[in-house]
Amino acid sequence: MSQLHAEVGIAQLSKDGEELCGDKVVLTQTPKGNIIVLSDGLGSGVKANILATLTTKIASSMLQRGIPLVDVVSTIADTLPVCQQRKIAYSTLHIIKISPAGLATIVEFDCPNSFLIRDGKVIPFPVEKKNISGKIVGVGVRQLRENDIVVAVSDGVIHAGVGGLLKLGWGWKGIAGQLRQICAQESSASYISEQIINCCQGYYLGLPGDDSTVVTVKLRKARRLTLLTGPPVNPADDREVVKRFMRKSGKKIVSGGTTANIVSRELGKSLLVDLSCYNEKIPPIAHVKGIDLVTEGILTLNAVLERINDSELVYVDKQFDGATLLTRMLLEADYIEIFAGKAVNPAHQNPNFPFEINIKSQVLSKLQAELQAKGKHVNIEWF
Amino acid sequence: MTMLKIEVCVGSACYLLGSQDLIEMIEGLPEDVKANIDLRGSSCLKACGKGPNVKINGELISGVTPDKLMEIIKYNIQRK
Ligand code: FES
Repeated sequence: MSQLHAEVGIAQLSKDGEELCGDKVVLTQTPKGNIIVLSDGLGSGVKANILATLTTKIASSMLQRGIPLVDVVSTIADTLPVCQQRKIAYSTLHIIKISPAGLATIVEFDCPNSFLIRDGKVIPFPVEKKNISGKIVGVGVRQLRENDIVVAVSDGVIHAGVGGLLKLGWGWKGIAGQLRQICAQESSASYISEQIINCCQGYYLGLPGDDSTVVTVKLRKARRLTLLTGPPVNPADDREVVKRFMRKSGKKIVSGGTTANIVSRELGKSLLVDLSCYNEKIPPIAHVKGIDLVTEGILTLNAVLERINDSELVYVDKQFDGATLLTRMLLEADYIEIFAGKAVNPAHQNPNFPFEINIKSQVLSKLQAELQAKGKHVNIEWF
Repeated sequence: MTMLKIEVCVGSACYLLGSQDLIEMIEGLPEDVKANIDLRGSSCLKACGKGPNVKINGELISGVTPDKLMEIIKYNIQRK
C-alpha cells in the first residue's frame, strides 16, 4: 500500500476589533506522523492568544518527544489555570495525530466534537469520554482510509450567527451540512477550511463575535518530488547520483546549469534550453527527456524563496518562469527529497555576484524550513 | 546559405552579467536578419568568470556586450 499523506488546511478569523487571534494551531512532524494541536484561549485578543499559544506549545513539544497522549493531557489539565467565575479552563485543547499508515488519534478537551467525513457522510469522530486528572476528555482512535477527511473547529465557528442571523448559532449540525456539500466535490484541505470560514464570516455579518478556526485534515496518496541541485564534490560520484535520482518515484527536478549538463550526459539525452521562458531575474528553463523540470540553479532557487509564501505571484499571475514553475511543483508535493551537490561553482566566486544572492546551503535550509512549516516532509542529502 | 549559429550562455554567472540583454537584442532584430540566425541557449559554456559568454559558429567569445554582438552579427551576415 502506498503511504498516505495528511494534507492540512487551516483558516482563521479574529474576533471583530482584535488584531490577534485567540485560537492557535501548531503543526508538528515526527517520524511517527503529523500532530496538529488547536487551542482556543478563553476570551479574545492578547490574553487568549498567549494562553492558547502556551497550551499548543506545551502539547506539541511533549508529543514531539514521544510522551504518551494521556500524560500530555494530564500535564496540561494540571497546569492550565481555571477561571474562578466560570469554573472552566482558560484554554481548550484539541489534538489530531495521524500516523503515516493513516491511524488517527483525536483528543478533545473542552472543545467541539471533530467531524469525520467518509464517502460523503459526515459524522462526529467517535470518541470515548475519559477521566484524566479529574477532567473529562474525549479520546478516539480510528484507522483512516484514502479520501477520509477530519475537521476540527473552535467554538467561534459553532456559535457563528448566534443572536443575530441565527437564534442559536450555526451549530455542529449546520456545519456538518455545509461540510457535506463542500466535500461532495473533490476539494483540497485548505479549500474546505476556507469555505467554512467564509460561511462563518457570513453568519457573523462580517463582524465575528469570537475567534474562529477551522482545521481540515485530508488523507490522500503521498506526492513525491526529488530535486537535484549542484554537482557532487567528487565528479566520480556523478554517475551514481544521477542513477539514484532517476530511480526515485514521483516528480523530478534538476536545478543548475552544470548539474543539468551532467544529467544530460549521464542519460545520453540532449539538453535543450527553452528561450521562451525567462524574465530579467530568472534565466530560461531547459528540457531533458525524463525530467519534469530543468532550471538554472542559484538565481532560480533564490527567487523560489521569494515566491513560496506569495500565492498571488505563484498562481494568479500568468507566469511561466523557472522559479514560478519550480515553486508550484514544490507546493504540490508532500515528500520532498533534495539531493544537493557541494561542488563549489567557480562562477559564484565572481566579485560581480550580488551580495543578496543567498549561497546554496543557506537557500536550501531556508527553503526546507518554509516547506516544513507548510506540513511537508523535506530531507536534504549533501554529497 | 548557412545560418549564423549563436549560442548564448544563460547559466547563473552569465545571466547575472547580462546575457538576457543579448537574447533580447537578437530577438528585437528585423525578421529578415533573424531568419539568418540560429539562436540557442546554453546552460554553461565553462568560462563562467569571463561572461557573458557566447559561441558563434562554435567559437567561444567572452565578455560580450549587445553592441559587440551586433557588430559580430553584421559582419557575419554581410559577408555571406
Ligand atoms: S555560466 Fe556562462 S559560462 Fe558558465
